[in-house]
Amino acid sequence: MSASAVFILDLKGKVLIYRDYKGDVSMSEIDFFMPVLMQQEEEGLLCPLISHGKVHFLWIKHSNLYLVAATTKNSNASLVYTFLYKLVEVLTEYFKELEEESVQDNFVVVYELLDELMDFGFPQTTDSKILQEYITQQGNKLEVAKLRVPTTVTNAVSWRSEGIKYKKNEVFIDVIESVNLLVSANGNVLRSDIVGSVKLKVMLSGMPELRLGLNDRVLFSLTGRDKGKSVMMEDVKFHQCVRLSRFENDRTISFIPPDGDFELMSYRINAQVKPLIWIESVIEKFSHSRVEIMVKAKGQFKKQSVANSVEIMVPVPSDADTPRFKTSVGSAKYVPEKNVVVWTIKSFPGGKEFLMRAHFGLPSVEKDEEEGRPPITVNFEIPYFTVSGIQVRYMKIIEKSGYHALPWVRYITQSGDYQLRTNA
Amino acid sequence: MVKASATVDIVQKKLVYLYMCSYAALKPDLALLAINTLHKDCADRNPMVRGLALRSMCSLRMPGITEYIQHPILMGLRDKAAYVRRVAVLGCAKMRNLQPDAEIVDAALVNELYGLLRDPDPVVMVNCLRALEEMLKQEGGVVINKPIAHHLLNRIKDLDPWGQSEVLTFLLRYTPRTEEELFDILNLLDDFLHSVHSGVLAATICLFLRLSSAHPAVQADVLERARGPLLSASTAQCRELRFAALCHVQQILRSLPSLFAEQYKKFFCSYSEPNYIKFRKMEILIELVNDNNVAVILEELRAYCTDISPELAQAAIFAIGRIGQNYSEKCMSILTSLLGLKQEHITSAVVQMFRDLVWLCPQCTDLVCQALVDCEDYILDSEGKQALIWLLGVYGDQIPNAPYVLEDIIDNLKTEATPLVKLELLTATMRLFLVRPAETQDMLGRLLHYCIEEESHMAVRDRSLFYYRLLQCGVDETRKVLGSIKSDPFLGGIVSQQQEPVNNWASDFNSLVPIYGKNQWEAIKSARGSMSLSTEEQEEVQPDLPGFEETEQEATTSSSKAVHFEPCLSTSPPISPLSFEQKWLTLQPCRQVVVSWEEGDCAPNILQDALSHSNICALAFSKPHTWPWKAYLYSHGMNTLILAELLLNSSTDSLQITVKQEKDNKEAVDSFICVLEKVIEMMKSSKT
Repeated sequence: MSASAVFILDLKGKVLIYRDYKGDVSMSEIDFFMPVLMQQEEEGLLCPLISHGKVHFLWIKHSNLYLVAATTKNSNASLVYTFLYKLVEVLTEYFKELEEESVQDNFVVVYELLDELMDFGFPQTTDSKILQEYITQQGNKLEVAKLRVPTTVTNAVSWRSEGIKYKKNEVFIDVIESVNLLVSANGNVLRSDIVGSVKLKVMLSGMPELRLGLNDRVLFSLTGRDKGKSVMMEDVKFHQCVRLSRFENDRTISFIPPDGDFELMSYRINAQVKPLIWIESVIEKFSHSRVEIMVKAKGQFKKQSVANSVEIMVPVPSDADTPRFKTSVGSAKYVPEKNVVVWTIKSFPGGKEFLMRAHFGLPSVEKDEEEGRPPITVNFEIPYFTVSGIQVRYMKIIEKSGYHALPWVRYITQSGDYQLRTNA
Repeated sequence: MVKASATVDIVQKKLVYLYMCSYAALKPDLALLAINTLHKDCADRNPMVRGLALRSMCSLRMPGITEYIQHPILMGLRDKAAYVRRVAVLGCAKMRNLQPDAEIVDAALVNELYGLLRDPDPVVMVNCLRALEEMLKQEGGVVINKPIAHHLLNRIKDLDPWGQSEVLTFLLRYTPRTEEELFDILNLLDDFLHSVHSGVLAATICLFLRLSSAHPAVQADVLERARGPLLSASTAQCRELRFAALCHVQQILRSLPSLFAEQYKKFFCSYSEPNYIKFRKMEILIELVNDNNVAVILEELRAYCTDISPELAQAAIFAIGRIGQNYSEKCMSILTSLLGLKQEHITSAVVQMFRDLVWLCPQCTDLVCQALVDCEDYILDSEGKQALIWLLGVYGDQIPNAPYVLEDIIDNLKTEATPLVKLELLTATMRLFLVRPAETQDMLGRLLHYCIEEESHMAVRDRSLFYYRLLQCGVDETRKVLGSIKSDPFLGGIVSQQQEPVNNWASDFNSLVPIYGKNQWEAIKSARGSMSLSTEEQEEVQPDLPGFEETEQEATTSSSKAVHFEPCLSTSPPISPLSFEQKWLTLQPCRQVVVSWEEGDCAPNILQDALSHSNICALAFSKPHTWPWKAYLYSHGMNTLILAELLLNSSTDSLQITVKQEKDNKEAVDSFICVLEKVIEMMKSSKT
């Protein structure tokens, strides 16, 4: 890849900050970006890649900002997008919230970061943890004596600095599985997959060597163990700290972790599972008078587990009024700005079935424009449970000072893109 | 400002330097004053300050700066802090950029950089590659020989993802000597197919495809193994990355349509996705249709037809129409039922699809004619109108109310803005007149009168005058002229496009080309003309015609005439089958050549391949084993469009070439025939 310049624009297309890396693109080119974008939007042909003259603009939108990379080369698109997202990630870690205001308030840091992230159009140091060691938000406090190149910038293990110390050595392991579901209007499951990720929060001193054991089916069949309780993971991807060669050889996940929070690995599971929360809905629309909605939700997971903060979003016509609800459990609320009814159930035990009825009035004068048919979406979280049945069997921590460290494990299943289409 | 930079506060320093970098080009004399401070900072004991100063100094874009930065860069290259070395390496490239006219690159510097490829710091190493590439642009970029390639391969695991994908791209330059070496490399890089980074993934796939360009089986295997990662990239969280991945999936499908056939459900759209993703997914779904999933996919596409965005709804209808070319029955029933919605944009799109379907699948004609009743009230846009009018004209004898619909349109002609609709209307009314004269005569008179007397658009007037005079010659003459146009059913085969060989697009993989789409990319490129891009483009294209290029070169040397003409041919801009047919029917043959052909059958894909390498596009063929066997070709060259028909006659064992051209240009035809004959010679020799 190579980006000639990076711009941060506000929603109107005004440049907030830019950095010209190569000088082969005129900085006035960006003035053409917004008009072209608007035109595409009007034609309904919006595209994250815009070409004007001899410049290609690759852009992403984040809250009320456009981040745009300009290049004249036939470069590698996914890499440029990844860089822009990396930029968002780094800036978010610095400012908590990346938006117009925070960019304006912190333009000094943004400049500094843009300077370090990329040089001459090539990404340099992009790891936010390492950047944070030498670019701090209280920049002026930095004293001359303290100034040194952090060892990590040049370290062999580029993701971890030496000399980290903790009083209490602990590792927190979160196994999070998101369920993506798409169900057609007539109740067929069109798509269902599980995307899992293992996230670590590492609070360990020194340069520890970690080994993680999972009930991986490939590993179990390698060692000839019972396959009953193992899980077939597909498309496993690791953080760069994991030694891939060892995983290829004997499926051992061994690594020197970065400090703090990071995602160790992600995987996908293709096995068909029963949808955890099944929704049946009847939406009857009587033109000019009313809409009747009946929604039945059923928890199709183990009785011992409980789904927390379940939110079922049911779409209603935008001109609906006078809502009335009846629910067997939880509470329902009309959110007119999103045109949905949100049915919230604090705790939803497995195997149970609940019902909600809603009634809306419709104006007698019908509005002209046709509306889309948004699906019902569901948000939920089931703690202490993984759909796939994946388990952390052990976590070995070895450090040359020989301290004792505790691993903590937590399992969560949550909703990803969970949509059920409706008839109405 | 200069004084302000002489501070110990590093943040202030940074900002001052940044300011200077932006304005140095405007005020070079003032910026020169800062050089001294910068020099001093380059010798600071803090490596961060050294790096900063060096980076800023190299970024000052003003004339004459090179003499000041040369020394600090050399010092920087030997600095003990890797941070400074990184900056210094890129500084070399920046320096080179500042003096583009300098003919010779400093050889010592280049050697120094090649040496630094062995630097222990991985980023320094990658930066060296980047800098060398930039500096040696004119000589074709950095040279990757065997030791360097092996060194890179050994180091690649230490790099960050940016470096990895960069190195993978540089490795494209390297051709392994032996097969053994090739497979070693493939094995070594195998892990990267599972990279989290979609950029690295794409770069790896690209490298694998290019390395194994001579082994189609390996290529297929690579794509097979990349399926999982590509699928998860297509469902990535960031929608732009998802989009990029989908574009690449689409590219792959062109060669291996079956690759994702079982995972077709992954490409169903989710409600919240932006339109550009939905468009791509629909296009992918079309490619994935087979006997098993056609029902499910059609059902899904049907759901999109009522989408709130008219563009998307229309795209979904067009998608159904395209599937209809193979599964006409199922699609017809869906399309017909959509008419019941009585939505303008839907009806318009459906009627357009009807037109295309009856053209390709004549068996749908009856159904279309039945469905067409009553939909005229819901068509407002000009594309829809043109389609409707065309259908009414061609099948007027089967649609009872056709004359009345046309009459309505004729009566409201004054409000019609687009000339294309008027042209279509003229032809349709003429055709209808021939089959149902009693009902049409009156309105045809009015139409012609209006178009000749009041119309201001020249084409419309000319057309109506032409028809008027035609009618004066008598009805029989008119019938002869209008009725004789019959499509060659062979042209129907165009739609089921040949599968493209992987090597056709492997070189474009992981660039902007698949994202724009090939046609748009060509357009952008030609719009830019021969601007700076082209040099780099050509370099990329050259190495990927393995095998073929050599044979072609041999052939070209044998006939020096062709060497001269060949580059003049080009297949872009592409022309549609429809316009080809129109042109073919209107132009006169300018040359006929007969070549002997005793080899019997001709395999279309081989011919297409061979022709495309000679920049001749083969638009359509008859199926193998049909007699007489025909093929239609075209090419652009020397400001003219050349069309050709190949007719293989089995009784005389000869291949007859008929050439027509748009503008008279004898040279162009000569060169075209010369190239064509050569290709045929080659095909013959390959057969025997």
